[in-house]
Amino acid sequence: MASIIDFTDICKTFKVPLRAKGKFSMFKNFFARKYKTIEALKNITFKVDEGDIVGYIGPNGAGKSTTIKIMSGILTPTSGNCVINGSVPWKNRREFVKNIGVVFGQRSQLWWDVPVIDSFELLRDIYKIPREEFDKTLELLNDALNLDDLLNRPLRQLSLGQKMKCELAGSLLHHPKILFLDEPTIGLDAITKLAVRDFIKFINKKWNTTIILTTHDMNDIEALTNKIILIGKGQILYQGSFENIKNQYSSSKTIVVEFAKDYDDIHLDGYETISHEKRFATLKNLPSKQFHPKEFVNEITRSYDIVDFQVTSLSVDEVLAKLYKEYEIVER
Amino acid sequence: MNKSYFGIFKMEFKGELQYRSKAISGMLTQLFWGLLQIYLYTAFLNETPVDGFSISQMATYIWLGQAFYVMRYITVPKEIGTSIVNGNVSYNFVRPLDLYNNWFCENLGQKIASTLLRFPLIIILALFLPGNLRMYGPVSVTALLLTILGVILGTCISVAISMFTVYITFKTLSEKGASGIVSTISGLLGGMIIPLPLMPQSLQNVINYLPFRFISDLPFRIYIGNVGISEGLIFLSIGLAWLIVLIILGKLLLKSALKKTVIQGG
Repeated sequence: MASIIDFTDICKTFKVPLRAKGKFSMFKNFFARKYKTIEALKNITFKVDEGDIVGYIGPNGAGKSTTIKIMSGILTPTSGNCVINGSVPWKNRREFVKNIGVVFGQRSQLWWDVPVIDSFELLRDIYKIPREEFDKTLELLNDALNLDDLLNRPLRQLSLGQKMKCELAGSLLHHPKILFLDEPTIGLDAITKLAVRDFIKFINKKWNTTIILTTHDMNDIEALTNKIILIGKGQILYQGSFENIKNQYSSSKTIVVEFAKDYDDIHLDGYETISHEKRFATLKNLPSKQFHPKEFVNEITRSYDIVDFQVTSLSVDEVLAKLYKEYEIVER
Repeated sequence: MNKSYFGIFKMEFKGELQYRSKAISGMLTQLFWGLLQIYLYTAFLNETPVDGFSISQMATYIWLGQAFYVMRYITVPKEIGTSIVNGNVSYNFVRPLDLYNNWFCENLGQKIASTLLRFPLIIILALFLPGNLRMYGPVSVTALLLTILGVILGTCISVAISMFTVYITFKTLSEKGASGIVSTISGLLGGMIIPLPLMPQSLQNVINYLPFRFISDLPFRIYIGNVGISEGLIFLSIGLAWLIVLIILGKLLLKSALKKTVIQGG
């Protein structure tokens, strides 16, 4: 399959004024400003195939939004090549943007004071969508997102979740080939989150829309994406399936054990004792040790009298937090 | 003009119509200011009369100014300003539209809608005020037609000048500062603070050819007969030339600003 997004060696540097410290620093800054350059993106290279849902993840300040902005033609990179859907985003911007849809979770593209349907009608004019096609698309989106009650109300009267549904619909009216979603589930309640996820999957299936998604919600990633790109400090650290990463880390288990009586010291080969208080202890298997429940029970009952135990593996969030720490990409 | 730009114009129009109390309070303010200005300048004119600018002409000039206040007032259009400062402007970049035309239509739609909401009532009220306070009709039908033409041209010039405030906002990220600078200059040089006929002649000779006076001073003076028909026509064409220059200049500036734009955060 041909790749629809082809990023090669994209770099982006920003010049930010450097603030002098100390006495009269305000004046110094005013008259002679020094700048330092920040490398927001360093040699970013990746490909995305048509119809993929790609999760673009990384800690705050890693360069996710910068990448999205370059992909959607808002920013021009300092160097490197980028071909999306056969054209370069920042050249001939007006042609390029006809084939993309964008939702920035923290911003709004619809008009504040007027009913949502009026905004949609205006988008129809802007993208020059034929009436028939527009009606059909709207019906489809309406069915999938339950917009009926929302369309005739002004945007300012809608809740965050209702707004997000409308934003999603608005970004898809012109039937884009690529959809960029920048934190689409931010601040949404559980039900709306699920609805939004289902909808994203639905559109991807129905139209084979390529979707690029940034999010901090790992459940989004797990439920939606078939590929993730992990970025940190402006560099790509991993690209591939999320399962791989998860399996790598999910072998690590935490076991809480309740003993029948107080022991002075708890020691078990292959396990590390994280905490120990009266009859309770928390153990963790060492990386070299594979955890088997039966084996574990045998081993521990050999030396101790136990009442109960509970095993937990890392949640997806913890996996990611570990990953960030391992790559040392967390902001300090 | 492209249909989508007309759509934007229509949208702003509709949005503006949603706020009735804003229109009513605006009208009250304008009535108050009109009365205040008339009392003030009547005192001036009684002391030292100005040739060719009578008290009744002055009152009419001021009432027109209040009726078309929104059209004359230069500011960063509210949503454009905030969208630049908070970064929402990024959505404008992902639309297949020319940014300048897009904003021009938005601003024009807002101005026309709120002017249409306010001016009839102010004019009707002003026509029935007693004594020196009242507003008079146009000197002739031709003058009225020319005034309408002038008001349309003036609104476009006003929007074109407002676009410079958008440019300054891009540069400084402060919409209030941008509005402050440009609206003060245009208010003073456009006769919105002191009616231009009351200014010294030597100053008028210069101001008459600057773009600001075409916003409202020219059409109002045609209306009261202070500027004749043939003279008015000449000035209207100068105004048209200014409009073209302002739009071209505005487009170039916006283009250069966009090249350097960085949208920060989230």
